[in-house]
Amino acid sequence: MKITIDGKAIEAKEGQNILDAALAGGVFIPHLCSHPDLEAKGGCRLCSVEIAGEAGAVPACKTEVRDGMEITVNGPESSKVRKMAMELILATHPADCTGCPKYGKCELQSMYQYLGVSAEGWRKKSRSVANDDSNPLISHLFTRCVRCGRCIRACQELRGVKVLDYIKTPAGIRAGIPEGKSLEDAGCRFCGACIEVCPTGSIMDQVKIMKEERSYAENIVPCRSTCPAHIDIPRYIRYIKEGEFDKAAAVVREKVPFPETLGSICTHACEGECKRGELNEPVSICRLKRAAGANDSGAWKQHVRKDAATGKKAAVIGAGPAGLTAAYYLAKKGHEVTVFEKNEKAGGQCRYGIPAYRLPDELLDREINTMLEAGFTLKTGVSADSPRELFDQGYDAVLVSIGTHQGTRLPIEGNDLPGVYVNAEFLKQARTGTPLPVGEKVIVLGGGNVAYDCARTALRLGAKEVHMACLEQEEQMTAAPEEIEEGRQEGIILHAAHAFLRILGTDKAEGVEIQKIARFYFDENRKAMTELVEGSNQVIAADQVIFAVGQKPEGTDKMELALTHGPYIQTDQQLQTSMEGVFAAGDVVTGTKSVIEAIAAGRKAAQQMDLYLGGDGDISEHLLEEEEPSPYLGQIQGFAGLKRVEPEVAEPSERAKDFTLVEQSMTCEQAKCEAGRCLQCDLRLMLHRPKLWNEY
Amino acid sequence: MSMLSHINNLKDTQCIVDTLRGLVSDNECARCGKCVFGYEGVTQLQLILGDIAEKKGKSTDLTQMQELCQMMKSQSLCETGEEIGAAVLAAIDAYRGDFEDHIGKKGCRAGVCRKFMTYHILAENCTGCGDCMDACEEDAVLGKAKFVHIIDQKECTQCGACLEACEEDAVVQAGTVKPKCPKRPIPCKRR
Repeated sequence: MKITIDGKAIEAKEGQNILDAALAGGVFIPHLCSHPDLEAKGGCRLCSVEIAGEAGAVPACKTEVRDGMEITVNGPESSKVRKMAMELILATHPADCTGCPKYGKCELQSMYQYLGVSAEGWRKKSRSVANDDSNPLISHLFTRCVRCGRCIRACQELRGVKVLDYIKTPAGIRAGIPEGKSLEDAGCRFCGACIEVCPTGSIMDQVKIMKEERSYAENIVPCRSTCPAHIDIPRYIRYIKEGEFDKAAAVVREKVPFPETLGSICTHACEGECKRGELNEPVSICRLKRAAGANDSGAWKQHVRKDAATGKKAAVIGAGPAGLTAAYYLAKKGHEVTVFEKNEKAGGQCRYGIPAYRLPDELLDREINTMLEAGFTLKTGVSADSPRELFDQGYDAVLVSIGTHQGTRLPIEGNDLPGVYVNAEFLKQARTGTPLPVGEKVIVLGGGNVAYDCARTALRLGAKEVHMACLEQEEQMTAAPEEIEEGRQEGIILHAAHAFLRILGTDKAEGVEIQKIARFYFDENRKAMTELVEGSNQVIAADQVIFAVGQKPEGTDKMELALTHGPYIQTDQQLQTSMEGVFAAGDVVTGTKSVIEAIAAGRKAAQQMDLYLGGDGDISEHLLEEEEPSPYLGQIQGFAGLKRVEPEVAEPSERAKDFTLVEQSMTCEQAKCEAGRCLQCDLRLMLHRPKLWNEY
Repeated sequence: MSMLSHINNLKDTQCIVDTLRGLVSDNECARCGKCVFGYEGVTQLQLILGDIAEKKGKSTDLTQMQELCQMMKSQSLCETGEEIGAAVLAAIDAYRGDFEDHIGKKGCRAGVCRKFMTYHILAENCTGCGDCMDACEEDAVLGKAKFVHIIDQKECTQCGACLEACEEDAVVQAGTVKPKCPKRPIPCKRR
């Protein structure tokens, strides 16, 4: 039907109210208590309009359109109502806008500036309430509440959580939690819808979770923005909660081709940022990814991208996570891709670095075989050392993703004695079934995840007593806390904050002299500095000493590429190296990082190489139908306190005997239960942000 | 009883400003908060009527209340707000003189609003004992022993301490009609 507003003809829908019709038609009518996602109540009267043939002013949000209706926004009556309504609101609202965290983003501020009114002439009253910052996620500053009721409607009707309501206080009526309860005790789901719809600075995100270097959306869903590959974490967790594992796996696969591998070994920086972690413990995002991968039937395959052949050829040197990922997406873009892997099998560090008790061969084989379905050629046991030769063989672009497979031997006395190993070789030999000999006692030098891989591998190879020594205090160690804990359970003796002075022995290693560190820091040149505790020297007897103090690339000096910091390949922002058409990605560029960072780099390399090869650089895939999640959450008593669900872990005494898997995948029931702990922070981003007057 | 019938049946001992303030404060609108004209309207009425009752009324108050109440009548979410608006408008119509007496600082006809009450010492009852002088924190009571005490109206804050201190019923409160009292302390008739 047609209506006219201030003489402008607008198409309106049957049953629509005047406000919605006007805003949809691009005509601004001031409003405050209305919100696009909430039922209109008509309390604020800022949307008052006049209708031809009717006396007085009516609220546009509560008046249904009729065909041919002639509406005037700023008639004498409606303007008077609107002006007085805003004046009355301002008369009891704090006047110190500049001191408010919502300043400049405040709907109330925008609206009164538009109307050009103030509370001048009315009696002023302050309804002061103490700020409540007791909750780690949501800050309550109800002195600023204007009783529009949007947070209450969002909490009660939209989300069904029913925590917020109008409450009576000595300072007056306002939004709040009845019975003086805390958000936790009232059963809050911490979805943040109240924050999102509040037009003033009454309900805000806690300042400390809103980091300046991140965008608003990145701050609201920190797990997703922290993940190097930006996997849509809340989306797949929601599917797991609903028992839709296929869909969950498809969501993960839209960003990474290794769901189960990542679910087993990812460094999960996302969990460190999970807002749930502020309440009790973060959602087990990583383990849930494994559950999704483990229960994936492959339904996503019918949606995969397969662009027409381009006739272009790309070579990838190194079949680690970065190289395989790049090859996978380049193949989907229609390029003819060959991956050269000098080892017997593909997988890179996943295959030869990470021990089998964390990531078994079968799992890796399964995921790599699935990737091969994208249609690229994998040549294992074939070295490709020179990008230039590959161009000569007819390749149009080359990716170098050879990782960091050479362990570092520190320059200390005795470092070349028999019985002194380095991490990379030790782990690779163990993984390929030809382990280096291990005696009764072993000491690992280093404090990262790889050091633990070495120590726990040594145990499994028969060592009776395994020590670890590292420069850092335990809290500063780069190893994951759960790795340190699992190692401790298995009996690894940790000497944190110790310097290694020399390896003792004459014709073979017999032990390491270590000394306690008082202070360890990096100076302004990033040089490691230590202050030792005098007289704290001790000798740890050992049959073998394993260096686990970093790894570096091998063979990059022969590639005719510009290098940096020694053997690392130098690239620009687009991962392009010094040689035209040669790209590099993963650890060989960044130094030893994580599998997820290598995958993210592999994706970026595929985009850039596709652009280089004449494509559009778009490697995105939609592996499942877009579905709008339900905005309804409902009530769960004690939600804030729900404990993290842990998967089944083998007994330390049993698991340290061989290389069988330490940790099982969660059962479907466990996964659904754990997924239910997610705050679904992304839901609030699906709410519509009311457009301000200057946007019309 | 509805607000209107309260107003229509006002007794001589009741003050319209004070009564209206009570009715407005003790209303559903003051406990609801769901609409601007109901809740903020009542808040303004409470503040304005409170000021008038406390001798802080402004010449524009009646017009402002009338404009506000017209809005409350037509723009509140429910009948409660409409009823308050109508009742205040009716009260202003019926008792305009009383409102103006308060705003013009003339007095409270019913003798209810404390800020309009004055305190006086009746010469025939005063014994010049000095109890009221001792009780007054403002030093507003003039006089000396065996002389009738006098209250300096400029200094008096209407706290009522002298009234409580006097055991001779010599201190009295007055509304618009004031008792005759000496201007200066004179010797007491009573001993």
